[in-house]
Amino acid sequence: MTPVVHVENLRAVAGGRALVDGVSFALSAGRVLALVGASGSGKTTTGLALLGEHAPGVAVSGRVAVTGRIGFVPQQPAAALNPVRRLGGVFREIAALHRGDPAELVATALRRARVPADLLRRYPHELSGGQQQRVVLAQSLVGDPAVLVADEPTTGQDPITRAEVVDELASVVAQGVALVLLTHDLDVVRALADEVVVLRSGRVVEAGATADVLDRPREPYTRALVAAQPRVTVPGDRPARRPRLELHGVTARHRATTVLRDVSLQVGAGECLAVVGRSGSGKTTLARCVVGLHPTFGGEVRLDGRPLPRSLRKRSRAELASVQYVFQDPRSSFDPHRTVLSQVARTAVRLRGSADATAEALAELAAVGLDEATATRRPAGLSGGELQRAALVRALLARPDVLVCDEITSGLDTLTQASLLDLLAALPCAVVLISHDLAVVARLADRVAVLHRGDLVEHGSAGDVLGLPTHPVTIGLLGRSMEGTEEKRT
Amino acid sequence: MSLRRYAVRRLAIGAVQVLAVVTVVFLLVQALPGDAAVALAGDNPDPRRIGEIRAAMGLDRPALDRFGSWLWGLAHGDLGVSLVSGRPVVAFLLDGLGPTLVLAVLALVLLVPLSVLLGVVAALREGGVVDRITTAITVGLHSIPEFALAVVLIALFGVHLRWLPPTAVGADLLAQPAVLVLPLVVLLARPVCSISRLVRAGMIDALASDHVRHARRLGIGAQRIRFAHALPNALAPAVQQVARTTDWLLGGVIVVEAVFVVPGLGTILVDAVAARDLPVVQGLAVVFAVTTVLVNLVADLIGFRLAPRSVAIA
Amino acid sequence: MRGVGALLVTVPLLLALAGPWFVPDDRTRGGPFMPNSWLGTDFVGRDVWHQVLAGGRTVVLVALLATLLSYLVGVPWGVVAAMSRPRVVDDLLMRPLDLLLAVPSLLVLILTATIAGPGLPVLVGVVTLVNFPDVARIFRGAALEIAGRPALEAMRLQGESWWRTSIVYPGRSMVRTLAADSGVRLTGALYLVASASFLGVGVPPDAADWAVMVDRNRVGLFLQPWAVVVPAVLIVALSVGLNLVFDRALRAEARS
Repeated sequence: MTPVVHVENLRAVAGGRALVDGVSFALSAGRVLALVGASGSGKTTTGLALLGEHAPGVAVSGRVAVTGRIGFVPQQPAAALNPVRRLGGVFREIAALHRGDPAELVATALRRARVPADLLRRYPHELSGGQQQRVVLAQSLVGDPAVLVADEPTTGQDPITRAEVVDELASVVAQGVALVLLTHDLDVVRALADEVVVLRSGRVVEAGATADVLDRPREPYTRALVAAQPRVTVPGDRPARRPRLELHGVTARHRATTVLRDVSLQVGAGECLAVVGRSGSGKTTLARCVVGLHPTFGGEVRLDGRPLPRSLRKRSRAELASVQYVFQDPRSSFDPHRTVLSQVARTAVRLRGSADATAEALAELAAVGLDEATATRRPAGLSGGELQRAALVRALLARPDVLVCDEITSGLDTLTQASLLDLLAALPCAVVLISHDLAVVARLADRVAVLHRGDLVEHGSAGDVLGLPTHPVTIGLLGRSMEGTEEKRT
Repeated sequence: MSLRRYAVRRLAIGAVQVLAVVTVVFLLVQALPGDAAVALAGDNPDPRRIGEIRAAMGLDRPALDRFGSWLWGLAHGDLGVSLVSGRPVVAFLLDGLGPTLVLAVLALVLLVPLSVLLGVVAALREGGVVDRITTAITVGLHSIPEFALAVVLIALFGVHLRWLPPTAVGADLLAQPAVLVLPLVVLLARPVCSISRLVRAGMIDALASDHVRHARRLGIGAQRIRFAHALPNALAPAVQQVARTTDWLLGGVIVVEAVFVVPGLGTILVDAVAARDLPVVQGLAVVFAVTTVLVNLVADLIGFRLAPRSVAIA
Repeated sequence: MRGVGALLVTVPLLLALAGPWFVPDDRTRGGPFMPNSWLGTDFVGRDVWHQVLAGGRTVVLVALLATLLSYLVGVPWGVVAAMSRPRVVDDLLMRPLDLLLAVPSLLVLILTATIAGPGLPVLVGVVTLVNFPDVARIFRGAALEIAGRPALEAMRLQGESWWRTSIVYPGRSMVRTLAADSGVRLTGALYLVASASFLGVGVPPDAADWAVMVDRNRVGLFLQPWAVVVPAVLIVALSVGLNLVFDRALRAEARS
């Protein structure tokens, strides 16, 4: 087959620094090529070069040849749809740019992306996240492009939505479209891609068939990347321990809507309890009830048999120290005006009255790989992964009995994520891990609780819940992410 | 929430708001030193004469009683009669409404296209000479006192150059459009600045947004991107400001009317307060409150169309 | 464009603040609207130049004081409303302000000033009354946003002191809001003070005040325009200059 995309010796230079350096690849119709790499590896720059675009101040050289039209599926569909325009009007506008009957063009594109035609009367905010994704895909399909570029199509999605996105893209590829996938999600790569190009600092580290590259990586960097990808493996049972943290009939609301209904759970000393569920299932609210940031809940949270005050204000220093929390977004959980070190050290000062809090904080930050030069910067000078490790140290300096972690690995690339998981696995305290990523859960959790629309639908040892799931949501969350790892490998 | 249910709920809240404003104004007027009887009794007030006038006007009744009967009248569309001249308040309001409406409507007709045009041109030439000049002017004229600007313009164009009539004394506004030029320029100075700046900022944001970038990638032409995709987003924040301006224009632009001697609602208000003519002040308060509620309602309905998401969340 | 704003502010501001010291004690009166001295005489025969020297201070000081008072009342008002534990307090504090905002500001100004009679404290009070609801609303919004920030929640989880979580951190975060608001607030106050004085609200009818001068000398515009134009131009220059200077400062701040 003749390639529809041909890239030869692509270079992109900004301010004397090469963002992309000598990237070459080719792709035929109906095939999928994945550009894989951590943030800053040059995959987005390469993807934009295919579209003939570049960021201001970037000089692009080399040969990029695309036969036929090229379409782009942006990263966040919600932001890519004009909030004040009905979908139908925009589709008609796009169709008018192509030859052929506009109504027919739109109808074909909608059918190919599986968008029901009655959505055309709606505004973007009236669609679900999955529908928005499909609408954006349909827009790119108007006029029958030969090539699609999809930018991180699954980032931040829960496993069920992620599986839907993979299905849609697969069906479009089956219709003969060539797909270039920019992603750091190796599960999606395994599920979709025929070929993989691994990028690091703008250079091709390794390229070849997906199975070769991901299962028999030759380069150390690729090996690290693959090893860092957590897999769902059913863990063996560990004996249950004496309960340390207990939740009894916890019920919580946001204004008029009940987001948690009568949830009872236990976590033993040194155990890791994973709370899983789709977005909006009440996981975060549960975490906030435990740590005292959602004081209006009903029911009881007990630590070592004694009830904890609902509100943070009413908790003593010892109680504050014993239950600590790590926020989902590390950047917003730091004060931008003070150095990271001074903020981290305050935990030791306030909760344990430490005499030399700064030295203590420095030592613990060094243990997670943050040296003094990094720690004495303000938060703006640290990467997301570095800040998340600092946030973890900030909580751990309290020497907590229970640490609650809210989606702390989402939005981090695979390698950073793996190093953070190693840290968590080594913790002596009880951990409550909020996550929708079952691979992460399987790696760490002793026990798993599944939430669905505020109800606790499944609860048990990790081996039981992950090995023999009973509730459809668990099967959905689990089955799809297992499928993601199995498919294409056989 | 459907548009209709939203509108009905807003109207109900609006009615409460009107009632509350009217009550506040009643209390404030009650607190004014002296009353209409004193004002009517002339320069040498004789206490007995004042008492007689009070009794004749019903001013000796308790305040609550008078407020109650005034509200009762309002419910029947009756705003009472002026304490000073005995004319129905409605007649007063109709007299003042004419000139005020002429000024307000003309100002709005000029305001919206002018400020949108200025904002869009500045945004499309962001950082260029045109943008820098319009920005400097629109920043400078923000919240400039109208009377000062008016007097400077009158001195220059009305007195020194003799191009335009300096005031509108005794003129029929529509028959002699020349008298309207300076008042309109003064009325437009502040709102054109604030609205064109909002449009400019909104347009710049919209042109840099993800959805406009996506539309460009889909191949949609530059003109359609600007006017069919970016502009509607840029207008949403400006609508609230247009509403505030409309409210201000309809509320009788007291200062401009005073400088140019236009007998509109603002002039009537100043006169009525000076004469402690309570029913007229109350009637004006009703008109102002009702226009505020209606203008904001219309603005929100337009906003609902322009920014369906934000209202749905609120 | 660089120096224009600064120049426009400096001239009226210097005249306003230093002017009163240069007014001679023995002021003779001539006939009304006579062009016999540098800027001629006003409607009661006073020297216009002396009136200009004497008449800026009240406008500037009243606007400054009213702005300051608006913040002193409005900021705690908004913050208390945002932070109050029984949320009823929030409604009790904010609903009446919505009402005040729904009445045209000049109507409030005219009525309250007529009730309280003339005097500079009254003018300050009335302009504050019109201005502070907006300040309260802006700072209530800012406080609500700050209270929900994970950074503040993280500090509370660290057991930080009341002083740091309730004063230092929110205070530092609100300085930005204050900086962004102060320019608009001051020119807004200047607008209200000048317009009120022009309408004769809160000031004696023969006061040495630029806005009052514009109003009272209008009748002589054809005879002796300087008596009107000079104070009007000074007010325009002050307003435009303040706008340009604050806008520059704000944009420089945004860039850093």
